[in-house]
Amino acid sequence: MSFLIDLTVSGLAIGALYGLIAMGFAVIYKATGLVNFAQGEMTMIVAYLAWTIATTLTGNVFVVVAGAVIGAAVLGLAIERIVMRPMLGEPLFAGVMVTVALAVILRSSITFIWDAYPHALDLGVGRDVLRAGGLSLRGAQVAAIVTLLGLLAGFYVFFRFSKFGIAMRAVAADDRAALLMGVSAARIHALAWAASSVIAGIGGVLFAMVYDLSPAMFALGLKGFPATILGGLDSVLGSGVAGLIIGVTENLAGGYLTPGMKDIAGFLMIIVVLMVRPFGLFGEREIVRV
Amino acid sequence: MRSGDFKETYSGLIVLSDSTWVWIWSALLAAALVCAPFVLNAYALSLLTLVLITLIGALGLNILTGLTGLISLGHVGFLVVGAYAYAIAVTKHGLPPLAGFAASGLVAALASVIVGVPSLRLRGLYLAITTLAFSFIINNVILEAAAVTDGARGISVLRPTILGIDFDSDAAFALLCLAVTVLTLFACLNIRRSRIGRALVAIRDNDTAARTMGVNLVTFKLYAFVTSAFITGIAGALLGIYLSFVSVEGFPFLLSIEALAILIVGGLGSVLGVVLGTVFIILLPEVVQTVLHFAGSGVEALFANGVHELKAMLYGVVIILFLRFEPRGLVGIWHDVKRLWVHWPLRF
Repeated sequence: MSFLIDLTVSGLAIGALYGLIAMGFAVIYKATGLVNFAQGEMTMIVAYLAWTIATTLTGNVFVVVAGAVIGAAVLGLAIERIVMRPMLGEPLFAGVMVTVALAVILRSSITFIWDAYPHALDLGVGRDVLRAGGLSLRGAQVAAIVTLLGLLAGFYVFFRFSKFGIAMRAVAADDRAALLMGVSAARIHALAWAASSVIAGIGGVLFAMVYDLSPAMFALGLKGFPATILGGLDSVLGSGVAGLIIGVTENLAGGYLTPGMKDIAGFLMIIVVLMVRPFGLFGEREIVRV
Repeated sequence: MRSGDFKETYSGLIVLSDSTWVWIWSALLAAALVCAPFVLNAYALSLLTLVLITLIGALGLNILTGLTGLISLGHVGFLVVGAYAYAIAVTKHGLPPLAGFAASGLVAALASVIVGVPSLRLRGLYLAITTLAFSFIINNVILEAAAVTDGARGISVLRPTILGIDFDSDAAFALLCLAVTVLTLFACLNIRRSRIGRALVAIRDNDTAARTMGVNLVTFKLYAFVTSAFITGIAGALLGIYLSFVSVEGFPFLLSIEALAILIVGGLGSVLGVVLGTVFIILLPEVVQTVLHFAGSGVEALFANGVHELKAMLYGVVIILFLRFEPRGLVGIWHDVKRLWVHWPLRF
């Protein structure tokens, strides 16, 4: 029984990270209609930025996190302005392929800018083990769960009440009508890329604090991806919650079946979800009229 | 001077090429390629073989992505399946190589049915997502099913002897690849001009309209996917023989990106484009390395450690630049050049 609880709790901890990255996917999909295949790579770049700040400037956790958030926002804005904006109005295929190309560029730039060895992101906090009632979690894992819950609440309020959030939903629902209402689609896209980069980047930094940094970290994007599909590509909150489900499922599959199942449980889940409920648990069912 | 391109019969409309010169040039190119293995040095020959094998795989993906407009991010999965099917059939069970090739195509096609049936019912990007998932799942399956696949150890593959002809030497193997490439080229050209090919293009251009015209979307998409996987599986078998060793590491994810880069650089949907794109993409890293060689030893040393990364970066940059500035690809440039050549100094 305690094995089950252990698996579930550590699954929730890793699932929170998947959830953050899945929210990153969903924010961009909701605003632009594109699946950003470079999400995992952007996450990794932000984590490396945080590591660079921590090793060269200061190890103060607040400075590092603030620097990473700013860096992530700049990264998202730069990608949107330089690479994605010129593709506005092009077919979906072109836009998606640009993100795929961006993914391989960012992935290989890690080896040229930094190096190919794993590093520990040691900020003095986050690695200490917290114990409560037989459970033990690292500080950063708890922080991941708290961050996810906080962001979920924040995004609920943002989409419900703020002008930008409503504009974003308007662009997602019908970009032409939104343009006619005076919403700048380009600005919404820029905001979405920056927000997605920041959310996923926080996930990346937390991941690097618990585990290590390495050029293989982009695989985190592949782990977050099933969560977005399960939650619904256009549902930001759903994706965040689905991250927790994926994390727990993956851990249980790894614990009770074979260890290899842990890596592919999420992908198997994608295929099942697409067969049963392709718009995800919380996504909007697409109705096509001819 | 021709005043226009008028077709008077249906067969004239769908003929592979109505120009005698195209046939003559193609025959000359084929003759040159047949002679090439006996003239080229070992390095150039291995590049030629790689171009031919890549061309087969890219032609396979072209049926899916170029003609039907569906993205597959995991086509490397079918390469792996094809390579393993051949290796298991021939090396482990001693079947004849021809049966091995058939198995590589058929097993890949079977895998594509399993992936395709759930995902092709949906519109949009879902095939890209499931194929991406497939390419990771299949690696895991291969590593887990060690009883059949030898797991992480991999299987070594010998050069085949088909119908009494020994393809052991590099030149002979290049000729085998050339033969398969020519077969695939004709198959693709013929698919394109048949009812099926027109149905696939109709799906790509407007699936609602295609459906209204009586094209069964699911059937034809599945047909494109299975054909594409079959061809890719055979390319995988050849790649396995070329590498002389089949393992999960031998087929990195980058190959999927490479194939997509070939299609985009060449020009989506055009067989000529695939040929141009393959030559461009395979030679690009070589050219860049030569340039870096002249740029100085410091730069060269930096990139010598990261050939794989350099390649990946080049592919990414090339994809973005072509999508942004020349979405029609090399084949579009070729058409512009041809038009300029014929009509100069007139504009059109």
